[in-house]
Amino acid sequence: MGRKEENIKKATEVMHVLPQIRNLCIAAHIDHGKTTLSDNLIAGAGMMSNELAGSARVLDFDEQESARGITINAASASMVHGVGGTDYLINLIDTPGHVDFGGDVTRAMRAVDGCFILACAVEGPMPQTETVVRQALKEKVKPVLFINKVDRLINELQVTPDDMMARFTETIKKVNKLIREFAPEEFKKAWQVSVNDGTVAFGSAYHNWGITVPYMAKSKISFKEIFEYCNNEDQKTLASKAPVHEVLLDMAVTKLPGPVEAQPYRIPNIWTGDLESEIGQAMVSCDPDSELAMMITKIWMDPHAGEVAVGRIYSGSINQGESVYAIGGAKPERVQQVSMMVGGDRIPVPKVVAGNIAAVTGIRSAAAGVTLSRNKDFTPFEAIRHYSDPVVTVAVEPKSMKDLPKFIDALRSLAKADASLQVTTNQETGEALLAGMGELHLEITVYRIEEEQNIKVKVSPPIVVYREGIEGSNRGNSFEGKSPNRHNRFMFEIEALPEEVVAALRSGDLGDGPVRSNDAKEVGNKFGELGMDRDTMRKIYAIKGSNVLVNDTKGIQNLHETRELIIEAFNEVCVKGPIADEPVQGMYVRLVDAKLHEDAIHRGPAQTIPAVRNGIKGAMMRARTVLLEPMQKAFISVPNDWLGQVTREVTTRRGIIEDMPSEGNVTTVVGVIPIAETFGFSNDIRAASQGRAVWNTENLGFEILPPQLFNKVVGEIRQRKGLKPEPNPESYYSD
Amino acid sequence: MVAKENEDHAFPSSGLLLIGMGMGSIEGMTRAAIEAAKGADHRRYEAYTALWPEEELKRLEAEVGPIERVMRPEVEHPEALFSLAQESVVALLVVGDPLQATTHVDLQLRAEKAGIECQVYHGISITTVATSAVGLSNYRFGRQVTLTYPYGDWIATSPLELIAVNWSRNLHTLVLLDLDPTGQGTGEQRPMKPSDAVHSMRLMWEKVDLRKDEPLSEEFLLLAQEQAIVNGYMTQAFEGLPVVLCSDMGTVDQRIVTTTLGALADESGGRLNCLIFPAGTSEVEEKALLRWKQGEE
Repeated sequence: MGRKEENIKKATEVMHVLPQIRNLCIAAHIDHGKTTLSDNLIAGAGMMSNELAGSARVLDFDEQESARGITINAASASMVHGVGGTDYLINLIDTPGHVDFGGDVTRAMRAVDGCFILACAVEGPMPQTETVVRQALKEKVKPVLFINKVDRLINELQVTPDDMMARFTETIKKVNKLIREFAPEEFKKAWQVSVNDGTVAFGSAYHNWGITVPYMAKSKISFKEIFEYCNNEDQKTLASKAPVHEVLLDMAVTKLPGPVEAQPYRIPNIWTGDLESEIGQAMVSCDPDSELAMMITKIWMDPHAGEVAVGRIYSGSINQGESVYAIGGAKPERVQQVSMMVGGDRIPVPKVVAGNIAAVTGIRSAAAGVTLSRNKDFTPFEAIRHYSDPVVTVAVEPKSMKDLPKFIDALRSLAKADASLQVTTNQETGEALLAGMGELHLEITVYRIEEEQNIKVKVSPPIVVYREGIEGSNRGNSFEGKSPNRHNRFMFEIEALPEEVVAALRSGDLGDGPVRSNDAKEVGNKFGELGMDRDTMRKIYAIKGSNVLVNDTKGIQNLHETRELIIEAFNEVCVKGPIADEPVQGMYVRLVDAKLHEDAIHRGPAQTIPAVRNGIKGAMMRARTVLLEPMQKAFISVPNDWLGQVTREVTTRRGIIEDMPSEGNVTTVVGVIPIAETFGFSNDIRAASQGRAVWNTENLGFEILPPQLFNKVVGEIRQRKGLKPEPNPESYYSD
Repeated sequence: MVAKENEDHAFPSSGLLLIGMGMGSIEGMTRAAIEAAKGADHRRYEAYTALWPEEELKRLEAEVGPIERVMRPEVEHPEALFSLAQESVVALLVVGDPLQATTHVDLQLRAEKAGIECQVYHGISITTVATSAVGLSNYRFGRQVTLTYPYGDWIATSPLELIAVNWSRNLHTLVLLDLDPTGQGTGEQRPMKPSDAVHSMRLMWEKVDLRKDEPLSEEFLLLAQEQAIVNGYMTQAFEGLPVVLCSDMGTVDQRIVTTTLGALADESGGRLNCLIFPAGTSEVEEKALLRWKQGEE
């Protein structure tokens, strides 16, 4: 206890010495030992007892996480580490490794300047690790590499020292390739990791040891000795000679940038305001005495304090009792408490300054991604982008109507805390629809409502969210939508957007929503760079998700008056397509001609919106619209004795096995399965392998639903939505 | 078969009669129109483009027989109307002149295509009454336009743009007023009051003002010209723009007021109102307008 308190005291002092701060996170694949490593670092730094580390998992403070053995939330922990007689404050943000929580990973990256890439020595970097590293590099977060579970290589796979080196080299190559591909131009070379300069460490977080080449030199341990300690099952001695926290925290301090070093290149990447302004300069220089600029990266619910907002301060300081704006909120809100985080503990402090991670209570309108400032008109940090669309929905309602107000509050908090969760309420039935990244994501959300908020709920079986996409084109064969009074006509041509463009739309690089006339040229140029016709795209009207609307007409009088109405109808169709009222993606709509009534009264919303809606839907039918289903990639590692059962589970679910690399007695089945077939997969795979399979998934986007299933699936969706079983034919939209 | 517009033609045994009701009283209808309404087997009153006072409608019913009211959907999808007109004579009664402010040409053409005889009985239209009653030269009116209610955050801006374009050519503008806040043409009608008109004008003004920094269209000269004209018009003060309020025209309650947009909201107006935005006026026109200026009669 004494050491912990001393450390807390030190932490509150070092917080003010900017060159001695590091903000970092751990990017890893599920089960590659991230939580074990975090806890080791925290324990090593004297924030919990050594014996507990590796089993207690401080960062997993949700009971739910401990029970499932995966880390759900990006919680943060501060610790103090001395190098060369100087104390450093290390703020560690934990990131989830499971694909269902990808949204949290991106947000955590905004708060840190450096990251440990954690790769398992046996499996190497996995796709999920790649995804996380890609996100880190995009946010200009500098990586270093830790190769974990080295003892398993030696003890289980019995590799020779040469084999081991070869495996390390392979892993390092893969990571460097990623950095070359995805790091910003200026860092592609500088950020390459290497054993010799000490940006690569290896060891066993579980057995508390780790080593780098510089540390080998310092501690005079040779590679051969490490091999022997492991072979002789004496990793304890190794741990005392080369404790993992010592080695990795040394690496963090010496190889990863502090906020003063990182903010000059990170601020322009995450903030769109004027860099030459006073506040711009304050953030670039990480000035603790200037105005407050803080970005919330995560909200979590504390049973006592309520909503706690955790985020990074880029300039100024946040003080207990002061009033700040959550940008977008109408009124200033009072900061009730400011704290530093140590796992589940919040340590209240009077203030936290620039360069640090702080936890704040009292700001009711804070949400993940929101900016805090004392200036109401502060340019907020870029909206945080998400890489995946929700693919599964469940309907939830409280079992007892008296819980309804509490239930609505709980949904509101959940939606704020988890940006990858979409909550919509059905006004008529009071039922809430939760849309998320997968069955597990929604199961956890429901668990939170029931256990944390103590509201018993009824949950519908999960439903897949399909998409409607364009397979053909009606270019040159436009479809005409008429208004009810037949005096207004809109002609549309539709085709699919090129894949690069859809990817750019998804990443948010091209924006979303109506495009202002003044911005149309600039936005059009961006599409031009992606290979589309620049002149046409400069007449862009709107972007909705991954769909685009362009006004490709020539000099039609009064058309500008109906612009918003046309966009409104386009948005409606994007949300509910003609096949099954499902969202549309990747659609390129061109308005090629229009005839308008002379007088405004005969071309108002009641005329224009149905005309455009019918025009677009009819054109979609003419261009050929298909139903797309979400796909999931599954990686299932299973001992060979159960391989047959596992592959059967995949293939009976319309799954395709892409690869089956094997490693000793273990084979990893890499399969692609439609999400519609994955409900209950987790239990079935456990049963099929008698609990021996370890598996995880990532969402893979959408594929065309096989034609033989089309009528059945479309019929089911339409019936569920109370529509007639068959989609309307093209002719339906021409009258 | 060509639609008949000639009253000399024999009254049909079946078909559709488009009957102009004029401005608001039986006395203002033509004799031919009243006779035709009387002779029809069914009478429908189109109640979404303009309205008559209820008591006048009752008088008309007493004179010609019972009248049923129809809304926009029945006229835009006239299948039921047509099937009735295949076997009997159906009169569609329309305020004003059926082929003026509200064009029923489409209905005429569709009836013709369906093999239904269609006769037209004209009535007095607001278009002629308002322009001549005020005393502005009939030759100096530009296109007329209807001012609409806002729909959520959206408002049509073309009425303001059209007033500007007419003004730039030194032409007056007759502005009719919306009577359907929902834009659906189905529910309860609420004709615009002068204050509603000012509210819509102000919203248009603000919306167009936001667009004034947009670059002029490079591709289309006409559009660019219009943009420039509107920008020029908007350099005037909104409050000071001259406007003539015409209320309940062609009825005993007829009232005309020459005022400014700024003062218009204080006018209570009548059941049905319309506005005239005068451009530059000749000496005679000037004097004519002065007659309607409050306190200077």
